[in-house]
Formats: sequence, C-alpha cells, structure tokens
Amino acid sequence: MMSLLFVDALVEFLSPGNVVDVLVRGLAEAGLYVMIASGLTLVFGLMGVLNFAHGSITMIGAYLGGLVLVTLAAGGTTVTGLLGFAVAIVIAFGALAALGAGIETQLVRRIYDRPPLYQILLTFGVALVLDEFARIVILFYGLQPSTVWQAVLGTKPTVLRESVDVLGASIGGLELFQILFGILTVAGVHLFLTRTRYGLFIRAGSEDSEMLSALGVDVRRVFTVVFALGTGIAGAAGVLLAWDPAWGASVPLAAETLLPAFVVVIVGGLGTFRGTVVAALLVGFVDSTMTWWFQNYINFTGLPEMMVFLVLVIMLIVKPQGLYGVSEVGGH
Amino acid sequence: MSEGESPLLELENVHSYYGDSHILEGVDLEVHEGEVVALMGRNGVGKTTTIRSVLQLTQPRDGAVRYRGEDLVGLDTNEVAERGIGWIPEDRRMFSQLTVTENIRAAVPEAAAVDEKLDLVFETFPALDERQNARAGALSGGQQQMVAIARGLVGENDLLLIDEPSEGLAPKIVETVANTLAETAAETTILLVEQNLPLALDVADRFYILDHGAVVDSGATADVDTDSERLRRYLSA
Repeated sequence: MMSLLFVDALVEFLSPGNVVDVLVRGLAEAGLYVMIASGLTLVFGLMGVLNFAHGSITMIGAYLGGLVLVTLAAGGTTVTGLLGFAVAIVIAFGALAALGAGIETQLVRRIYDRPPLYQILLTFGVALVLDEFARIVILFYGLQPSTVWQAVLGTKPTVLRESVDVLGASIGGLELFQILFGILTVAGVHLFLTRTRYGLFIRAGSEDSEMLSALGVDVRRVFTVVFALGTGIAGAAGVLLAWDPAWGASVPLAAETLLPAFVVVIVGGLGTFRGTVVAALLVGFVDSTMTWWFQNYINFTGLPEMMVFLVLVIMLIVKPQGLYGVSEVGGH
Repeated sequence: MSEGESPLLELENVHSYYGDSHILEGVDLEVHEGEVVALMGRNGVGKTTTIRSVLQLTQPRDGAVRYRGEDLVGLDTNEVAERGIGWIPEDRRMFSQLTVTENIRAAVPEAAAVDEKLDLVFETFPALDERQNARAGALSGGQQQMVAIARGLVGENDLLLIDEPSEGLAPKIVETVANTLAETAAETTILLVEQNLPLALDVADRFYILDHGAVVDSGATADVDTDSERLRRYLSA
C-alpha cells in the first residue's frame, strides 16, 4: 500500500509540469542563495574571516532598499516599481559596501593576527549591534521588527506578481526575477574575478597573501575592496528578499539568511566561488524538491529547511572540505 | 664595488624571532650595487629568516635593515617591494590555481606594461611559452622555478632576494637556472641563498656564512673553492 502510494507520488512528481515547477523554484532559490553567500565566500577565501555579521548586512539592505521602494515605488506602475528597485539596489549596494569598508578598516583589520576565535567574536558582536540598531530604528518608526514589512511587499510591480504557464507549471514572475539576479551576480562576480586586476589579486591572495604582498600589492587594500564587495552584494540581496513574501524585510532576516549562507559556503567548499555557485544550485534544488514532497505527501512544511541542513551534515561527514574546498585558505 | 660607496642593502645587528625563538642574533651584512652576494650556511641557521627580515615578513625586533640608506624596519612588505626589492622564494610559492600568465601578471607593477613583460618572459623561457594557460600547480618543479624567477624579473627590481633556486631540481634544470641567474646578475644586484656550493661560488662575487643566527665568515668567492677549510667548517653536514 505504502509502495503504491510512493509510486503514485513519484509519477506525479515526474510529470513535466511539476518538474519544470520544481526546477524553476530550485533555480530561484539558488539565485537568492548565491547572492546571499557570494560575499561570505569571497571574504573567507581571501581573508580567512568568517563574517557572522553578513546576515545582518543583508537585513539592513532589505530595510534600506525597502525604504527606497516605499518612497519611490509605492502604488506606482511596473515601470516605477522596477526603476525604484534599480535605485534601491544601487543605494543598498553602495551604502553597505561603504559600511563593510568601514567595518574592515576600523574593526576587523585590528585582529587579523589574532586567532580565528577573535574574528568570530568580533563579527558576531557587530551582528548584535547592527540587529539591535535596526530594531531600535524600526520601533522608532512604528514598524514591527519581527514581522515582514508589508508596505515593501506592496511595492512589488504587477508583472512580478503574475505567473506564466509553462508545460502546465505556473511560473511566478518573482521567481524569474530572482533567477535573473542570480545569473547577474554569478556573471558579475566571475567577470570581476577573472577579468580585472583586483580580481587577479583576490584569487592570488586567496592562495598566498604573503607572496602577493611581496610582489608589491597592497593586500590590505585588496582586503578592504573584497569586504566592501561582499557586504555590497549582501545588501543588494536584501533588496531582492524584501519583495519575496517567503523572506521579507524583518530583523530575524539576519539569522534566516546567515544560516543558509553558511550551509552553501561550507557545502561548496570554504572560500571557493565556483563551489558556492554549485552548492547554491544543489541546496536550491534539494529545497524545492523536498518542499514539494513535504507539502504534497507529508503535509509538514517545516521539514524542507531541515533537509538543507541535512545536506550540510552529509557533506561534513563525506567530504568535510566541501565540493571544491582546499585544505587551507586565506592568510594575512 | 668601490670602497667607501654606501651599500644598496645593509643589515646592522639584526635580531629576529619566531615567537620566543631567537633566530637571528645580530646579523650584519652588506650588498653593494651590481654585486651578487651568496648567503650560505647549514639548514636552520637563519638564511631564510634573513631574507624574510629584509622583506619585513618577519619584522626584526632590534637592529636596522637599510635599503639605499632608508631603514625598512616597520614598513609593510608591499612597501618594501615597491622600493625595488624582489623575492624569489625557497619553495617557489606559486599561485597554484592561477595560470602561468596570471602568476606573472600579478607581479608586473604597471598594468600597462603587462603584455611587453609577458613577451620578454616567454622569450627568456620558451618552455613556459608552451604552457601559458596551464595552471601553475600542474607544472613541473623546473617550470615552477622558471615562473618564480620570471615573477622576480618582471617586477623591475634593483635587488633580488633569491632563496635556494636550485633546491629539488634535476641537474639539467639547475644548469638552466644557473645560466638565468648569471644573465640576471649582469643587470640586477642579487642576495642569493644557495646550498649548492659550486653554483653559489660560480655566480657570486662575495659570500657570507651564517651559523647560529650570526655571520661567522665572509669574503670574496675568488678566495675560496668548494674544498676550502673555511667553507667546510660551517657548511658540511
């Protein structure tokens, strides 16, 4: 009886419409994960710093972007919505890159020569400060810090609320938008790493920063650029999340994004961008697949997230260095 | 070198440590413009630490490291390199995931000069020309040493610190390295750490011998040969 039920479920799961649906949802999740995790992996790869404030940066990006969207795009058309979004992305990227540069030069730089525990404690402390700062500001303006900022969700243009039918699957505009931004992030970071002089220094410094400095490269400046780039991308990711009802702008978004970002970075292999992209796809597809199974046959929607962490556990047991990880990264 | 001329590089009473271990116990040495100076000694006497102390990778706790009269102690390593001091390290220190071309690009100070420098390198090392886009980590030891030397050469340095360039290489490759060093020495001042005594004596004008973190002998290489008692006393295993 159970096996027949399983076969029925499998047949339904493998129907063309459902496969497309799961694939698109998985790609959309992967797009978000890659945006959330890229900065974390770049910073760890070059500097050996696990930035526990990364999720808080994303959360502030969501609120900052939300503020721009509520100001520019509330009740507007698709054009004003998308233009507002573009402005929000630029402002969130710029502001949080500047904040990241400040955090690196004023705080993190002082403890490079200390054991990793100091970096963890410091960035965790920065996360607490940022979260509390956000909570105070949000309460001051009469918003609920623990629930999603609904006004921002309301600025989402109609085109992103609609769905298109592909092989019987209903594909949401927002999902396509998230896939687009995932692709843009991967392409942008890849081009930056492979086609620019700073990208060359970042890849070289990720292997041996001491040798790089002996070639006359100011590695500290490269560290600052990478930290700023990482926090900038995290901030931009926040803007994208502010339009997604499954995430939304709220203070707990900091922890909600930090955990999957760590999963993606560890599964991919600490410090490798290629690993992060592949792991984001893996985690995205696991998430969308298990969501379908749990929603349709087990009727318990909390478990798919657990499956993502199960991927992490399996990876840590089978290949602790991750998919593309090396034994040692970073250095000062 | 001419008498009375101020040295290009001067170490005066340099004391360096790794943690609590006192490695350099007052090193004094000079390298004059146009010279090749060999720094010799058994394993663990402080040769590499001397090089690292010049580069400020290991910051001396006492003493002075002067380059063109300026004390380098306290500068960042990239600032030392910017003054024209290049390093060809003992274990080559390849960026193993980067290609041969990328390894060399990273060492060229002016982005505009990259193409010209790459042409020069591939002319000097035809073996690298064929492997321009290979990952440096996939090269043979000899090819990696060529990349390491190329990185030192494209840096427009006035002084090269070369650490054990022949270590672990086949005799035929050592010969290539020796020829390259001889050609480089015609244009650049070199402080050379080398355990291969014939190579060191062949290339260098003067030598210093280190023992227990201090200079115990020095002189012109013309005054000694590989069987000299002066050398055997400190260099034999």
